[in-house]
Amino acid sequence: MSAHLIAGFTLREAFQRRIVLAAALLTVGFLALFGLGVWLGYRDLQSDPTTSPEVAASLIGVLLAGGLWSLNFIASMLAIFLSVGSLSGELDQGTLHAIAARPVRRSEIVLGKFAGFTLMLAVFIGVSASAMIVTVAVITGRLVATSWLAPPLMLAASMTLVGLAMAGSSRIGTLANGVMVFTLFSTALVAGVLEQVAVLLDNALLFDIGVFSGVVLPTRALWSMASAQLSDGGAFTEVQAGTTGALIAPSGWTLLVGALHLAVTLGIALRAFGRRDF
Amino acid sequence: MTAATPEPAIQVTDVTKRYGGILAVDRVSLTAAAGEVFGFLGPNGAGKSTIVKLVLGLASATSGNIQVLGRPAGSLEVRARIGYLPETFRFHEWLTAAQLLQFHARLARVPARRRAGRTAELLDLVGLGARANERLSTFSKGMMQRVGLAQALIGDPQLVILDEPTSALDPIGRREVRDLIRGLRRQGVTVFLNSHLLSEVERVCDRVAIINRGRVVAQGALSELLETQEVDVRAGPGAAEAARRALSAEAAASAGAAAASGEDAGRSGEAAAHDVQVTADGRLRIRAASDAQVAAVVRRLVEAGVPVYDVRPVGDSLEDLFVRVAETGDA
Ligand SMILES: Nc1ncnc2c1ncn2[C@@H]1O[C@H](COP(=O)(O)OP(=O)(O)O)[C@@H](O)[C@H]1O
Ligand SMILES: [Mg+2]
Repeated sequence: MSAHLIAGFTLREAFQRRIVLAAALLTVGFLALFGLGVWLGYRDLQSDPTTSPEVAASLIGVLLAGGLWSLNFIASMLAIFLSVGSLSGELDQGTLHAIAARPVRRSEIVLGKFAGFTLMLAVFIGVSASAMIVTVAVITGRLVATSWLAPPLMLAASMTLVGLAMAGSSRIGTLANGVMVFTLFSTALVAGVLEQVAVLLDNALLFDIGVFSGVVLPTRALWSMASAQLSDGGAFTEVQAGTTGALIAPSGWTLLVGALHLAVTLGIALRAFGRRDF
Repeated sequence: MTAATPEPAIQVTDVTKRYGGILAVDRVSLTAAAGEVFGFLGPNGAGKSTIVKLVLGLASATSGNIQVLGRPAGSLEVRARIGYLPETFRFHEWLTAAQLLQFHARLARVPARRRAGRTAELLDLVGLGARANERLSTFSKGMMQRVGLAQALIGDPQLVILDEPTSALDPIGRREVRDLIRGLRRQGVTVFLNSHLLSEVERVCDRVAIINRGRVVAQGALSELLETQEVDVRAGPGAAEAARRALSAEAAASAGAAAASGEDAGRSGEAAAHDVQVTADGRLRIRAASDAQVAAVVRRLVEAGVPVYDVRPVGDSLEDLFVRVAETGDA
């Protein structure tokens, strides 16, 4: 079994690539700004006698959701950039030939890479999302317990992107795959907005389109679910949800859809890459 | 020496590979015996790399059968015993030379205690000992190809497959690779060498197959192939017919003799059909398997009452054979 070797190699490669460095630097700067913003904001809110402590905490909750939303976006980009050329691109460059000629199954290459990307994203999301949650908890002295569910859900969202990008990469070239993944990714974002608008307008068709997009690419739906975990049902839930999440939190079905989505995309990647001629 | 080994290192039987509409390999059969250096020669686009990929299981054949080290091509047990230098010799450039070899040592299941030693040894062997800890991104193409060679040898393979291993090397590098291949042969390692460079093949290979447009057009011991004689004959009317008959008779006779002595009779037998061509100026171009055959054909022509005015050798080196193959698609 060599899948762990491929996974380790993928992880090392990810660290070597500038994109990870860029994402890390971006995140560190972002975390610093975030911390400063939360601190200043909370201080102002506290000094304002008209704001109750509950309202202040809720407003900070909105800040946390916004921060995590940005982080989720960076993670999504990272997921796409890491995996979009992972199979086809390497095949075209010829860097996979010597490796695939070793006693390694094609499936081990696909799954090893997937595991490597996932681990990479898990570390990235785990560390930075936790840092944000802790920052808010320390500054405000309040913590919504379910917040800790947000990072794993964000990771799940990124994993569906990795699965999609790897499925594409098992069949088509990096550029075409990039276009495909980004198109679906933005469509899902837009459809997510449509879904919110649909709720406000009470429009069933728009709503169905939104839900459908969540099945085609559950990334955004999983994010909405993550975002919903940050709310303690207080006064500003709606404000928070309207900007970054969902007015109605996605149901548990989202998780199932996410898992199925991943199974299908990985299945496509395994099958197509297993048959592909070098 | 090779005759003592029962199973061939590579046995390709009637293999065809299509890429969509492109027929890359057309009913190829070839055998590389264990312990020999086998040269696979052909012009660009002939199908050499395709065959190698089929042998490694990197691509799957449209039809036919491939056995490698006694097992079906592509099986993991077999791959563990093969070293491969791809034609592109591209590796992840963020690795150092030593890291690349260590990674491949692990993939090739080299025991942990031997990895570091083997890595250092092989980098020395290919002349990169001093640059072991430099990143591949700083390497020239030639150095990359050398590191690729070391990579191919890291698993102490029984079979080494080299696809154009000297394409990026200077003459000194080429000589070093030839010496390296000879060293492998001394250790009993089978080497399958893809090349479009005659000199390379001529100097190190025991046996050769020549491929053109997906078809193997000649195969055999180098000495045997070089024995093939081509002569230009100016003769009287009816010469072409008589020469064809004479050649078939000779081929049949030598095939019978070869079969009796247990050798591979296929080559001389099947070649007869297209061994006589009429050139534009009315001369006959006759190809025979040996000097003796040339003599026999001329004798038969004379016996048949065809006047022979002039017999001239056309060429007899591997290069002639190769150029002929490349130009006409026929050996
Ligand atoms: N992956 C592929 N897809 C389509 N055609 C290919 C592919 N690989 C090789 N070919 C075609 O097969 C033929 C043989 O190629 P190749 O085996 O690389 O030749 P050689 O190694 O002798 O130069 C060429 O016509 C080439 O264009
Ligand atoms: Mg080639």
